[in-house]
Amino acid sequence: MKLLGKITTTLMAGATALSMAGGMAHAGEFDGYTLRVKLIGGAQYEPLYTRIPEWEEMTGAKVEILSRKNHFELDREIKQDIASGSINWCVGSNHTSFAPQYGSLYVDLNVIMDDEAINAISENVINASTVDGRLVQLARHSDVSNLYYIKSLYEDEKNKADFKAEYGYDLMPPETWAQVKDQAIFFADPPNFYGTQYVGKDEGISGRFYEMLIAEGGTFFDADGKAAFNSPEGVRALQWFVDLYEAKAVPAGVPNYLWDDTGLGFASGNVALNLDWGGWASYFNSDDSKIQGDVGLIRAPKGSSGKRTGWSGSHSFSITEACDNKQAAASFVSFLTNFDSQMIEARTGLLPTRPDAIEAIIEESKQAGDDWLVHVFETFGASMAEDAFAVPSTHLWIPISNELFPELQAAIVGEKNAQQALDDAAAAANQLIEDEG
Amino acid sequence: MSVLTNIKRKMFSEQATPYVLLLPAIIMILIVVLFPLLFSLYTSFTPYKLTRPDTLWKFVGLRNYERIFTDWDFWVAFGRTVLFLAIVINLEFLFGLGIALLINRITWGQRTLRTIMMFPMMFSPILVGFQFKFIFNDNIGLMNNALQSLGITDQAIPWLVDGTLAMGAIAFAEIWMSTSIFAILLLAGLFAMPKDPLEAAQVDGCNAWQTFRHITLPYLMPFAYIAMTIRSLDVARAYDVVDTMTGGGPAGRTELLWTLIARTGYDSASMGKANAMAYVSILLSIAFTYFFYTKLVAARRYMGGAQ
Repeated sequence: MKLLGKITTTLMAGATALSMAGGMAHAGEFDGYTLRVKLIGGAQYEPLYTRIPEWEEMTGAKVEILSRKNHFELDREIKQDIASGSINWCVGSNHTSFAPQYGSLYVDLNVIMDDEAINAISENVINASTVDGRLVQLARHSDVSNLYYIKSLYEDEKNKADFKAEYGYDLMPPETWAQVKDQAIFFADPPNFYGTQYVGKDEGISGRFYEMLIAEGGTFFDADGKAAFNSPEGVRALQWFVDLYEAKAVPAGVPNYLWDDTGLGFASGNVALNLDWGGWASYFNSDDSKIQGDVGLIRAPKGSSGKRTGWSGSHSFSITEACDNKQAAASFVSFLTNFDSQMIEARTGLLPTRPDAIEAIIEESKQAGDDWLVHVFETFGASMAEDAFAVPSTHLWIPISNELFPELQAAIVGEKNAQQALDDAAAAANQLIEDEG
Repeated sequence: MSVLTNIKRKMFSEQATPYVLLLPAIIMILIVVLFPLLFSLYTSFTPYKLTRPDTLWKFVGLRNYERIFTDWDFWVAFGRTVLFLAIVINLEFLFGLGIALLINRITWGQRTLRTIMMFPMMFSPILVGFQFKFIFNDNIGLMNNALQSLGITDQAIPWLVDGTLAMGAIAFAEIWMSTSIFAILLLAGLFAMPKDPLEAAQVDGCNAWQTFRHITLPYLMPFAYIAMTIRSLDVARAYDVVDTMTGGGPAGRTELLWTLIARTGYDSASMGKANAMAYVSILLSIAFTYFFYTKLVAARRYMGGAQ
């Protein structure tokens, strides 16, 4: 069985290598050229960059990294570059949520890159990477959230009996967000233990609200392009966050939480259920986690429309219109998103954007006997293929999010009711839309 | 020809020499300071978006200012910044004065203590923000764990969510970071203070409080007003600590002027509107600077110093 798996992986890697050959640069093709790049920095992004010297050796080019910052800082720097007209670099890290803001800064990769490199990426991700019909980025890995839970809570006989008596149905890992609410309230014992948690500020809460809105059957914009999230579906979506906060089933500080807070909070062992990204999977089951060996994972639950939540984003690379050697840039982007590169990121727990890399990492984990990682990649792979959806493709997503999230917070902490908060946010969003003309 | 000769003569006349020598400096200041100021003032009359440079040339008159003047959230942030500034500066002054008086009385290890006192100033404000964000985290933070372990409360106090507590936590971080500025300047004042008036007060039979109230404190006030002027400009632009700890939230409860301006200008890329906000907020800095300079001049006059 192991031998069969090894052969499959080898064949898959071989086939991919052959298919990539068309997109590879010839040896020494860019001799003496210096490619200037601005890359996202941070622990989970760095391992990929250890491959850059390989590309340099292969092509004869040098890579000069002008910036290596977190994405929010990089976003500010890129906006300043656009404002000052100083686009003197070729490749920049990008993200599907941020890309629509940058207008015509980046080229359409369909024009300058080989079809093989593009077709290797999953169709869902390519669609999310396309802005106004232009493929402005090639994704290196994707993010989508699924539901982690503490297994022992669901195996406890007393919990099972008490829950059944109180809610009238069996205690099982939740299939719907309504069940998540019931179970979170049931498990909560503040301040020692909480049912669940959520990020509560910036684009984090806007995104979480957005995916809940879609799962409830709502839309963010109506057919005329006006804000439509203050609909009954929107109110239901927001009320879910409000109810959990009022019931003290989430920590009181959640309106201030970002990704690190939810991840570290769950790993500290005092939260029962946690919707989070795939990148945390290895950490939750590591020596640093208090719930090591007791973590379960299921697909993100469904809203009342029957659709699962699946807010997704992808980290990517883009090539500037101002680039003086687009072929070198295309070769570099192609190299950093090829099979071998994606496997490097996948081994750290990040979700590849190439279906062949997902299959290969599952196979590799099976051979290594790592059942947890197999389950993680199968769950996240299925979620990416069937549930994932990006934020609305508009350059106003971030500005609207900046108007929306304080109103969501106002409802969560009880300053406004859900309808009032969403109406106020919709009015501000519509003003932004009108200003754009 | 005669006109040129006239200009040359005027340029090289003795009276004009200082101005001619200062001209390069004046030109540099105009380029470095005035031009960006005028440019940002101009952009406040446009819908300038960082990501759309062409919007720089669209003039919208006072629209940004009209929006700001009718924007309740902006004025709440403005008022909160004034209140925050007043509380933080006064507390920093009181703590700084206490530390300076204590250190002034130490005869051994004073240099070491002065160096240790400077440590908080050496940290990046972002680091300070992260440090206090962790301390005040309601779930895994040190403060709640300590209070619960000591049996003072069995609740998770939402330090960074409740409006008053969150502003208190931010003020605590700001005061922790910058009280030493007051302490250093006031200590410098104590070192420079002549001994004669103090000895004369002792001869006249003044007690310690009377000596402090009528001699030491008036002598230190010019130093205090200089520190207050510097800190008022700093605090009015408070951003890093607030942004790291709460980001101005939740629901705008800790929104100060510069968290609002930075989000408008950079995250939402609406630099025209952000610059209009910044120009209105400059009024605050001007008002505080004018107030403290007036007090400084009065304090120096009281001490018989320069007018």
